[in-house]
Amino acid sequence: MSTLKHKGKGPQSMTANELRDGFSVWLDENLDWTRDFTKALRTEDTDLIDRMHLRAETDEKANLVVGIYFIDIEPETGLPARYREKFRVNGPSYDTADVLEIS
Amino acid sequence: MYRYDEFDAQLVADRTRQFRGQVERRLAGRLSEAEFRPLRLMNGLYLQLHAYMLRVAVPYGTLNSEQFRMLAHLAEKYDRGYGHVTTRQNMQFNWPKLPDVPDMLDDLASVQMHAIQTSGNCIRNVTCDPYAGATAEEVEDPRPMAELIRQWSTLHPEFTFLPRKFKIAVTAAEKDRALIKAHDIGIQIIRNAAGDIGYKIYVGGGLGRTPIIGQVLREFLPKGELLAYLTAALRVYNRYGRRDNKYKARIKILVQETGIETFTEQVEAEYATIDISDISVSDAERERIASYFAAPDFETLENDPKAFTDALQVNNAFSLWANNNVAAHKAAGYAIVNISLKPKELAPGDITAAQMRDVSDMADTYSFGELRSTHQQNLVLPHVKQSDLLALFTELQAAGLAADNINLITDIICCPGMDFCALATARSIPISQAIAERFADPERQRTIGEMQIKISGCINACGHHHVGHIGILGLEKAGVEFYQIKLGGDASEHAEIGKVTGPGFSQEELIDGIENMVDLYLKQREAGERFLDTYRRIGIAPFKEVLYA
Repeated sequence: MSTLKHKGKGPQSMTANELRDGFSVWLDENLDWTRDFTKALRTEDTDLIDRMHLRAETDEKANLVVGIYFIDIEPETGLPARYREKFRVNGPSYDTADVLEIS
Repeated sequence: MYRYDEFDAQLVADRTRQFRGQVERRLAGRLSEAEFRPLRLMNGLYLQLHAYMLRVAVPYGTLNSEQFRMLAHLAEKYDRGYGHVTTRQNMQFNWPKLPDVPDMLDDLASVQMHAIQTSGNCIRNVTCDPYAGATAEEVEDPRPMAELIRQWSTLHPEFTFLPRKFKIAVTAAEKDRALIKAHDIGIQIIRNAAGDIGYKIYVGGGLGRTPIIGQVLREFLPKGELLAYLTAALRVYNRYGRRDNKYKARIKILVQETGIETFTEQVEAEYATIDISDISVSDAERERIASYFAAPDFETLENDPKAFTDALQVNNAFSLWANNNVAAHKAAGYAIVNISLKPKELAPGDITAAQMRDVSDMADTYSFGELRSTHQQNLVLPHVKQSDLLALFTELQAAGLAADNINLITDIICCPGMDFCALATARSIPISQAIAERFADPERQRTIGEMQIKISGCINACGHHHVGHIGILGLEKAGVEFYQIKLGGDASEHAEIGKVTGPGFSQEELIDGIENMVDLYLKQREAGERFLDTYRRIGIAPFKEVLYA
């Protein structure tokens, strides 16, 4: 796993949750937050990682996001390395609202 | 139903107003997340894997139709159109937005509901036998006592920051439908040899990563001493419970490490220092609370009215449902109706806003406006005339709530698992659906008979897998979910922790393995035996043999 103080291996992404809506978000190439992981910035560039860290801390202090941390990315797939993070990227595999199309 | 007095109403209004201010300050940046987190948790608001989750308290699992309609309103206005009944009889909403939560709490307060005591290291919402006040099996209705505990424990200044959360369950029947021996404190209302009503107190039960069955702390506690005695027990826990390690902080670990004899001595010694009259509640106050739970105005009726027995003869679907989902009531001509929230295609315990409104209407028409949630993630209409059962069944069918599988293999307890929970290590909902699919044939379910499958998506055991006849624990290793099986657990008055069979399985292997064990049971069972009975008679070895074949 990775952490806020980037200690992970390989490519990194920065993730958090939106403070207001709670949804999972990732920093994209413009260092803006996206709910779409396919647009997430995945990089091994240490300068860029430092900038991601700074941006995330700034946005957390600005109350845009909460719970910022880096995640390890599998170089081969571009997906998060940890199962939990892989799952988080896709959202629930089941939701009653989707099954019944009520929302 | 208990109605809030001015103090209750003021307390909830104050708390809601405070939380609105806290949310405003958080959104404006005047509270950090570190400061805000304990405040939101004290109001039932979690930040889960994908979004916020609001857990609404349903004290002792009792609701009126107006309250259930309000839950429907919340689901529709602020969430995604459904709610989830939890294994502690509460209701969760999976997708609320932080700025909306104060409005949700305001709406809840308008029907005397809240989210207090649904999180944090406090005395949590008290759970109860869902048949309370309706079954002839009980010594007396346990809800007045549960309400007394609610009033005593709500925002209790001494017990708001315990070493860990603290769960109390109560029942007044020998048949345990509240899982009292798997709670920090379990209370059974009993009658002693002299005919006096009092309490048998269990302590140190719990599931989670260290499952333990509770032990008897007091064989008989006189009625007037309950709150003083609970105070003594909580004080000993507050004093000696471990705060250095959250995984060893529950009272069950303290009781285990101390030994029940020494722990009991400590509680009794503390109790001896308490002036009971300081805490005890007068008979008049107890009677005042009990009056809110007075039995409805039952008509004088005969059991098995002709309209009911005729319908059983001619309507097979109704007959199957009535035989399985309806329980005996204390009043002649009435019945307790279990509404299954376990249709094959949906997650256990989920109910849509439309269905909530339908059930509210049914409660008004057929059950004096009252309903219950159960720890098995179902609903109960407690007071239905037997002559109304067919009409009720027809309405349940129309609402998609007529599944006749209560206590059968598809009546599965299942936590939200990794689909929603931040603590989970694996998904549990797809497992429950796969089992429901495999055993979809209603005739086969009835042939199998009573079977309790319980699924947890992590070792915290919200899905009660330790006490399932078949318990399933979801884990993850190297990015792959796998599932460990326990056998022989029992959530009844004969509570028992199941035994792990061995290495875990993939989902596909798991479902095949369960089917193999069920087939073995059907071959081996003797007359009248449930799966659990056969397991106890022949032992774990034959089941392991077919499981790992």
